[in-house]
Amino acid sequence: MHELGIVYEVIKIVDAFAVENNLIKVDKIILEIGELSQAIPRFIESCYPAAISETAYEDTKLEIITIPATGECRSCHEVFNIIEHRKICPKCQAEDFSLISGQEFNIKEVVAY
Amino acid sequence: MNELKIFSIQKNIHEDNVKVANETREELNRQNAYLINVMSSPGSGKTSTLVSTIKALKGEMNIGVIEADVDSDVDARTVMNAGAKAVQMHTGGLCHLDATMARRGIDELGVEDLDLVFLENIGNLICPVGYDTGAMKNIAILSVPEGDDKPLKYPMIFAKVDALIINKIDVMEHFDFNMEVLEERVRKLNKDIKIFPISAKTGEGLSHWTDWVKTEMKRR
Ligand SMILES: Nc1nc2c(ncn2[C@@H]2O[C@H](COP(=O)(O)OP(=O)(O)O)[C@@H](O)[C@H]2O)c(=O)[nH]1
Ligand SMILES: [Mg+2]
Ligand SMILES: [Zn+2]
Ligand SMILES: [Zn+2]
Repeated sequence: MHELGIVYEVIKIVDAFAVENNLIKVDKIILEIGELSQAIPRFIESCYPAAISETAYEDTKLEIITIPATGECRSCHEVFNIIEHRKICPKCQAEDFSLISGQEFNIKEVVAY
Repeated sequence: MNELKIFSIQKNIHEDNVKVANETREELNRQNAYLINVMSSPGSGKTSTLVSTIKALKGEMNIGVIEADVDSDVDARTVMNAGAKAVQMHTGGLCHLDATMARRGIDELGVEDLDLVFLENIGNLICPVGYDTGAMKNIAILSVPEGDDKPLKYPMIFAKVDALIINKIDVMEHFDFNMEVLEERVRKLNKDIKIFPISAKTGEGLSHWTDWVKTEMKRR
């Protein structure tokens, strides 16, 4: 499953970060996921427990911040949510826009000691 | 009790993948092997296209294939019989390959004696395209029976590949597939894409595709 592989990748990166920074315990991982990212937050949440079970991260919590899919109209420069407006500029009805956000998949931060 | 602190990581999850993919490309360049990542839905004709391509080019170069699409070794055996060196990867249920998995396949295959290597990616139009495998070129195959509306349904793959093969043109008359409409839809997403209508079965159109491969290999 797509999301499970991604969660393993997250744990791998967090683990490397923890070792590098001498962290003793990671309490929470905070992800930023764009609405157009290939990972669906609900699926990430549902396979997270399986990915951490019997690892050093068994008690680590997960928080996901969703980043909206926003685009800027190439004709009138209106900034709008492209999912809500079905890729059509609400101001001038043009269909040509440049993507500003929505494809992110970032590990934003960890809460740890 | 230790106090909890917030540590900023700000790391894109794909950063590591790109790093591994770049290392793979460097290694392949060192060994003079050209890697092409082949993506499509199951049954579009990845294996058949590779077989025809191998037959057309094996007199001029040594070819290898990394089979990742299905778990059984039928496809690997098929391309081996056509004259390629091949390995079968066991991807059991995965939906895409990342750079680390692709690297494992490349190392298992061994490219020191190869000029051209194909990666038959997992049959799926959605997520393989999101992962750099370390290939020099990425291509997609769309077959006529799948319909000319696929670029509307799965825009990402058509937007990102270097070339698109339209396979099974020998059965065109039985489907209402409009090549001009398809091309227009694809160019709207990717204006410089190369499009090669072929039949892996009859060999029609194949030389345009193999000529492009040879030109790109020389160009790097
Ligand atoms: N008529 C026709 N059938 C084809 C062609 N290429 C592949 N096929 C058939 O399509 C099916 C799937 O092909 P295969 O190469 O295994 O697809 P893959 O799953 O993408 O590797 C097989 O039954 C092939 O014989 C073609 O050019 N014309
Ligand atoms: Mg196949
Ligand atoms: Zn996937
Ligand atoms: Zn506008």
